[in-house]
Amino acid sequence: MAKRVGATTGLNSFQTSGCLKVLFGRNPSRLDAILINTSGGLTGGDKIDLTLDTGDGTCVSATTQAAERAYRAKDGWANVSTQLSVGEDSTLFWVPQELILFQGAALKRKLRCDLAPTARALIVEPVIFGRALMGETLTNAAFHDRIDINRAGAPLYRDAIRFDGDVHRHLSQTAVGAGAGAMASLIYVAPDAEAMCADIRQHLPATGGATLLQPDVMALRLLAEDSMALRTALLPILDRLTHTTLPASWRL
Amino acid sequence: MGMAAPTATNMGPPPMHTDPKLLTLVQWLSPNFPLASFTYSHGLEAAIAAGWVKDGATLETWLRDLLHHGSGRCDAIWLRAAFAADTAEALVTLDAEARAFAPAATRLREGAGQGAAFTRLVREVWQIDLPDLLLSLAVGAATRRAQMDLETALPLFLSGFVSNLVAAAQRLMPLGQTQAQAIVARLHDDCTQVATETKGATPEDIWATAFLSDIAAMHHETLQPRLFQS
Repeated sequence: MAKRVGATTGLNSFQTSGCLKVLFGRNPSRLDAILINTSGGLTGGDKIDLTLDTGDGTCVSATTQAAERAYRAKDGWANVSTQLSVGEDSTLFWVPQELILFQGAALKRKLRCDLAPTARALIVEPVIFGRALMGETLTNAAFHDRIDINRAGAPLYRDAIRFDGDVHRHLSQTAVGAGAGAMASLIYVAPDAEAMCADIRQHLPATGGATLLQPDVMALRLLAEDSMALRTALLPILDRLTHTTLPASWRL
Repeated sequence: MGMAAPTATNMGPPPMHTDPKLLTLVQWLSPNFPLASFTYSHGLEAAIAAGWVKDGATLETWLRDLLHHGSGRCDAIWLRAAFAADTAEALVTLDAEARAFAPAATRLREGAGQGAAFTRLVREVWQIDLPDLLLSLAVGAATRRAQMDLETALPLFLSGFVSNLVAAAQRLMPLGQTQAQAIVARLHDDCTQVATETKGATPEDIWATAFLSDIAAMHHETLQPRLFQS
C-alpha cells in the first residue's frame, strides 16, 4: 500500500510471506517496486497472491527482477492472482518482464485492477511460448490467463485466454498466431491515450495492433516470432508510455 | 459396414410441419434482415489487405478458427447467457461485461450497431421490448421472449455470421459463387459443433485465442482505402 508524502510517493504498509520478496527502488517522483520470486519459478501447486493499492495522488511502478518461469507442473496447477487498486489521481505502471512457459507448464493467472475515475494505468503482460533458443517447442502446456479491469466499479476491459495442449500447433493456425512464439497484451488508461495510440500505430510491426476503445483507453496486442523480436518491438512502446522511465531491470 | 437401406415400411423422415416460429427465427437471422450486416467485415478486409487471407482455403481456415477459438464461440456463450437472463437489469449487466470483452473499437461498433438495429426491429414488428444490446445478446434475449428454441437459433446465428463474412470476402478478393457456397456448406458442421460444445457454458467460460483476427480488427481502424465499417 502506497501513500502520498509531500510531493512524492512513500510506502504506507507492506506485508509479505513465502517465496515472494519485494525490493523498493529509489526514485524521486514515484515508488518503484521490484518483485522477486525467490523460488526461481512456478510449478504445480504453487500459489502466489499479490495485492497492491496505490492510494490517492501517488505514482507507483511495479516490475519483476527477471523473467518469470512456469516450469513443468507435476502436481496440478500453479495459481497466480494479482489484485491492483489505483486511487484518485494516481498512476500505476504494472510492467512485469516476460512470463516464460516451459514444456509441461500448467498455470492459471488472474489479474484484477480497480481504477478510481481519475486513475491512470499502464498494464502489460508479455508471454513467451517455450524456449525457442534452447530448441524447445511448446507441444504440451496449459495456460489460462484472465484480466479484469474495472473503473468506478463498472467493467472497463476484459481479456481471457486459454491454451490447453499443443500450444505451438495452435499458434500456427491462420487466425490465431501466424506461428508466433511470443505475445504481449497491453492496456493503457490515461487522458493522452488517443495521441499515444496514433503514435504507437506508426511503430508497430505487421503482427501488432493498437485500438482506442474509449477516448482514454488504448488496448494493444503484439505477436512476435520469439522473445527477442517481442522485446525489440515492445521496449520502444513501453518507453513512450512511461515517458522513458521504464524500471531499470528491463535494461539488464 | 454401412447403414441399412430404408425398408418399404420406413420411407425416410416423417412429413415435416414447419413451425411459424422457425420462420421468424430464419427471418431474424437471414442476411436480408436489415441490420446493415453487409457493411461489416469483422476485420476480414484488413486480413485480406495483409495477405493473411488470400484464397478460398485460407478464408475457410480463418473462419473455422473464428468459430472455434474466437468471436463465434464467445458470441454463442453470450447468446446463451442472454437467453438465460430473467430481467432487463440482468441483460444490461451482461451487456456491459460483453462490451468490455471487445478486443477492438471496430468490433464493438459492429456488435452495437447491429444490436441496436435488431432491438429496434423486434420492438416495432414483434412488440418485444429489449434494452440496447450487442447483437448476440439481443438475439438471445429476443429468442427467449418469443419462446423460440435456443438450440435451433444458435447454429442459425453462427451460420449467418459465416455467410455474411463469406459474402464480404467475395467483394474483397477473387472468390467464385460456387466456391463461396461450398465454404459456407463445409462450415455448417463447425456451427453445430460450437453450438453443442457451448451447452451449459456461462460468461465465466469466455476465452479466445483468435489473436490475429483481433489484430486485423485493430488494423481496420486506420485501413485506407476501405469498403467496410469493420
